[in-house]
Amino acid sequence: MSANSDSKSKRSFKSMSSNPSSSGNNSGDGKSSSKKRKTAQKTLGMAWGANSRASSNSASRNSPFADFGSYMAVKNQKLHEQFDAAASSSSHSASTSGKSIFRGVSIFVDGYTVPSNQELRGYMLKYGGCFENYFSRHRVTHIICSNLPDSKIKNLRAFSGGLPVVKPAWLLDSVVANKLLSWIPYQLDQLGTEKDNQSKLSTFFTPKKDGVSESAEFLVDGQQIFENDNQSPSRVDSSFPEDNASLEQTDRFREELDDHSQLNINKPISEEPACSVESSYEVKGVELNDSPDLDEKNSDLKHKSSTFQASVSLSSSSLSIHNSTNPSSSRTKLAPNQGHSTLVDPNFVENYFKSSRLHFIGTWRNRYRKRFSSLSNGYRCKSSSLNTAVNENNSIIHIDMDCFFVAVVTRNYPELLDKPVAVCHSDNPRGTAEISSANYPARDHGVKAGMFVKDAKTRCPQLVIVPYDFGAYEKVADQFYDILHKHCQKVQAVSCDEAFLDVSESEVGDPQLLASVIRKEIFDTTGCTASAGIAGNMLMARLATKTAKPDGLCYIPPEKVDTYLSELPVKALPGIGHILEDKLKKKQIKTCAHLRAISKESLQKDFGMKTGEMLWNYSRGIDNRLVGLIQESKSIGAEVNWGVRFRNRNDTRHFLENLCKEVALRLQGCGVQGRSFTLKIKKKRGDAGEPVKYMGCGDCENLSHSITIPMATDDADVLKRLATQLFGYFHIDVEDIRGVGLQVSKLEGADDSKLGSSVDTGAASLPPLEDLDVAVIESLPPEVVSEINDMYGGKLLGFISENRRKTADTNLDAISSRSGEDLDASVEETESFSAVHLVESNTIAADNESGEVAPPSVAVPTSFSLKNLMPSSLSQVDRSVLQQLPEELRKDIIELLPQHREPEFVKGSSSNVINEEPEFESSELKDLWIGNPPKWVEKFKNSTCSILNTFAKMYHYGCGGCLSSLLQRMVSEIFPPIDAGADGFHDAVSWLCELFKQYIDLKIATDMEEIYCCIRLLRRLCGRSDIFIQVNNVILPHLQRLMGEEYGGTLSIPPL
Amino acid sequence: MDRKENRTPQAEIARILVEFLEVAVTSVVFLKGVYPNGAFERRRYMNVVVHKARHPQLNEYIHSAVYGLLPFICKGLVDRVAVIFFDGGDVAIERFVFKINVNESYSSKVEQSQLEFSLRSFLIKLPVSEPLTKVLPRNCRWEITGYFRCLPEGSTSKDAEMWVPTDAKHWQQPPQITPIKSMSSEPLGLQLYLEQPSLSEPKN
Repeated sequence: MSANSDSKSKRSFKSMSSNPSSSGNNSGDGKSSSKKRKTAQKTLGMAWGANSRASSNSASRNSPFADFGSYMAVKNQKLHEQFDAAASSSSHSASTSGKSIFRGVSIFVDGYTVPSNQELRGYMLKYGGCFENYFSRHRVTHIICSNLPDSKIKNLRAFSGGLPVVKPAWLLDSVVANKLLSWIPYQLDQLGTEKDNQSKLSTFFTPKKDGVSESAEFLVDGQQIFENDNQSPSRVDSSFPEDNASLEQTDRFREELDDHSQLNINKPISEEPACSVESSYEVKGVELNDSPDLDEKNSDLKHKSSTFQASVSLSSSSLSIHNSTNPSSSRTKLAPNQGHSTLVDPNFVENYFKSSRLHFIGTWRNRYRKRFSSLSNGYRCKSSSLNTAVNENNSIIHIDMDCFFVAVVTRNYPELLDKPVAVCHSDNPRGTAEISSANYPARDHGVKAGMFVKDAKTRCPQLVIVPYDFGAYEKVADQFYDILHKHCQKVQAVSCDEAFLDVSESEVGDPQLLASVIRKEIFDTTGCTASAGIAGNMLMARLATKTAKPDGLCYIPPEKVDTYLSELPVKALPGIGHILEDKLKKKQIKTCAHLRAISKESLQKDFGMKTGEMLWNYSRGIDNRLVGLIQESKSIGAEVNWGVRFRNRNDTRHFLENLCKEVALRLQGCGVQGRSFTLKIKKKRGDAGEPVKYMGCGDCENLSHSITIPMATDDADVLKRLATQLFGYFHIDVEDIRGVGLQVSKLEGADDSKLGSSVDTGAASLPPLEDLDVAVIESLPPEVVSEINDMYGGKLLGFISENRRKTADTNLDAISSRSGEDLDASVEETESFSAVHLVESNTIAADNESGEVAPPSVAVPTSFSLKNLMPSSLSQVDRSVLQQLPEELRKDIIELLPQHREPEFVKGSSSNVINEEPEFESSELKDLWIGNPPKWVEKFKNSTCSILNTFAKMYHYGCGGCLSSLLQRMVSEIFPPIDAGADGFHDAVSWLCELFKQYIDLKIATDMEEIYCCIRLLRRLCGRSDIFIQVNNVILPHLQRLMGEEYGGTLSIPPL
Repeated sequence: MDRKENRTPQAEIARILVEFLEVAVTSVVFLKGVYPNGAFERRRYMNVVVHKARHPQLNEYIHSAVYGLLPFICKGLVDRVAVIFFDGGDVAIERFVFKINVNESYSSKVEQSQLEFSLRSFLIKLPVSEPLTKVLPRNCRWEITGYFRCLPEGSTSKDAEMWVPTDAKHWQQPPQITPIKSMSSEPLGLQLYLEQPSLSEPKN
């Protein structure tokens, strides 16, 4: 009974940081729906396209009957005929006024409008437009509506297919103006809020897009490009006889496109059918943007089989388009800093670091390193010789700006010059803000850094508080270092306002003279004073500066070192802080003279080897450090311990996300990636009340958890995932959290070759000629092409022309079955060009896919869409491009590369599997468990792999939507073993992996038991076929990660 | 347990759940053999044989602890309820976790019989999972811990005051989880799983 009596009822207020959907629902809404649509087209072709989800509102039209699809096709055709007939009659009657202002415009009216849709139809009839009764993304160019229900607004892309949604007034006004007006001002008001949303990458690659439209001023429809693509070869032939498309033409064509891009939407639409214009823009983007990166990309590509080469370069170049079109979007949310805690300010982390002085100092170094990298690199090598004896004639100048943070601000206010001034982020009457720097008049009153404002004001009532001015700090620091570097080769930056100069070898003989020149120059340039200390080593120079301050100069010649030191209190020595001082005080050691009386051994015994030696050396004025020694950072991170207050997990999740972004930015800023991640949490001590400092952290317990992954990363999304996982381990009440920090260590340099310029890519790293993507090369500026040509010894141009001939032939065969749409001759050129590029890569892929079952005529066009645009794995993505991408985009890319979603789990045998995993069109892989029967059943039934077929069969035997019962049946089923090398093996593995993954994602939050069953059954199946072993290897890490996030633990799985 | 007509579905769910939890927690304690078998008597609940503590103090602890959660479950504040077994110290040996997910937006009438049918499976599955669990040392103790999604507003009721923050120590490593039973019905999702320290967990 002891247990009973002992245990009073207890409650612990804890919550887990689990987010069931954060990783599971990676695919955005729009993305998944687009996938669905495309898949439908793949299986059933054009007729089905008319019947795709967006075109039908009622559930009945979603029924997958080919009959109904063909019925719709016929119905649409008939409606068109009627419309055409009506149009011809009406245009006869109204031929006087009937300028075809709506030529090329095809509207679909959604819902109730004023005027009614019949009236609108009348207008379209009259002015040469088209009216669609049923929505089709291929035919409709504009959606007309007055109002949209909320659900459609939320799902706009799914609803509109990326087409402009315009108010009917656009048509009316156009009629009145008698010309086609830009629809942009007429965009539906409700969509105004949409504008700020950063488009997802997926929308960029899939039919529905509106991200690009922000800059391009209209919506680019990827699907249409692919469509056009298929129709173009005939035109390729006609407009470009073989071999004819020389690079000059490419170039000229690009210029044309550039002009286009300047045009307002009015013009292209009125002149040309909208879709063709769109595709031309798309091409333009690719051409313009991939040129600078090509070399790097190609060198990246050499690891790859040629199958995916085309796709990689295309995709990464498209990425850079996106990057360049939306350069500002990543920086959109600069809300004014109003909220002072994580509770009120959604951008707390960002604002926190924006107004943090420590952050400024901390990040300043990166800035400095970038700015003066060439200078400081020069003697980094020298740092190795640490222990070389210090030359007697060395002279070191330590230069330090006088109360930098105050001086920079007050230099423009002469009236403040002699007044006590302190810098502080807030002059709140509560006075609980900490003073970060005070000038000398203020220091005379006893005001010190770190003091609360209220305390400072009691000591010095007339104290003036000024805010930070980070912009000015940066500027002054740069000027400061410009001057230092001008006068001295060996500069070691200590901080933004403090540096060591080694002037031993300076031409100016007298270091004192040099120092005063520098000081004067600093004052003249920046308006702030600096003090300088000169001595034979860094330690003494630094101590000299202390004497020199403020605004002075002090020289300690070697012979005076002893006298200078003997009276110096130990605390003045660098490296001696409160704790060490206290310890020394206990031993009655107060000055360096006292310290010198103690032997080195005894010091080392008391204070440890390093500290002891340091004390011994320093007390004698010995310092062997060399100026210019740059210590590489061992870890990079960000920590927030002010203003951290959370109400619930959502707050923490949001906070972690922002913190990870910050850390990722810092990593990227330093050009490094880390493998070890530590999440630190300051947890309020049980008995601690609200801290004295407003929103401070108070008395806290420091907790931390860390994780090491095999592959270094600097990606915010990966960081977020890791941080979430780590946070899950804490089991901590979010309300007790007072500070959070994420530290990244085990740093590795981000691959220099990827960051460096392409110029130094030697011939040795050139990919084989046949691996080059001609489409990309063609789109390069001629000078770059010729440069590459030179690198290949002149073989490139021949290769291009030969390749083009081959491609044109193939294209013709593959797509002759397609019927072309009537397009203006003027655009044919434009379009065929885009077609060449896109189709080329297409064919390459198709050639290599000959083993697949899908009929080639269908497979070629559709296989293009996502697959060819996306590289097969993250390692193929040019990291430097990726780094420059806006956050959202980067996230999307990584999401689209599922095997690298959790690079930390890519290890051992599973990594092989992952790398070998063949690529699928991502759209096909999405939402396998959606629908009844779920999507995968159909797919598996049509698969060539017998195991997949068996799966589908099992489903129809009545296993229902439950994977475990399905697997249960599989266990008792007989199926032929498939060898690892067999055809379709990898397909089967990836399909099954995806099937399991999605099932796990669906069930993890609600039904662990089911997942547990499935995993155990999967393990039993492992004995039956290698396929299941591989699936198991891939699935397990994914599952365990989700378990970590959801339940803060790992699923216990019995050994095989 | 008088049933009021104007009760919200959530309150109804909470009531059923709490009643179930009382039985389930007792079953867990019985299963682990903390007390001699004679300390329990056989009862029938939801047509399953269950055990009920004979000792009034034990009964009272379980009852009051679980019913103390009722108002919070109603509000959807309770994330998990754990029955934690400790060795002599403060370090847990094993935790039986009930993860609760009450559908806050569920508005139609709760079918008590259906819900109870689902809950019943937990009571059936629980005794079968005994081999998964660890043998307890002699001087063990146990407690019921509620994990809240967020702190309830101060002094909502005196029920809240009965609950004190736990001083139970957490494992250094993420635990091993073995699911015992899961149910996800429209109004209520409930999962019972077993948490055990991972193999790499430092011993003491």
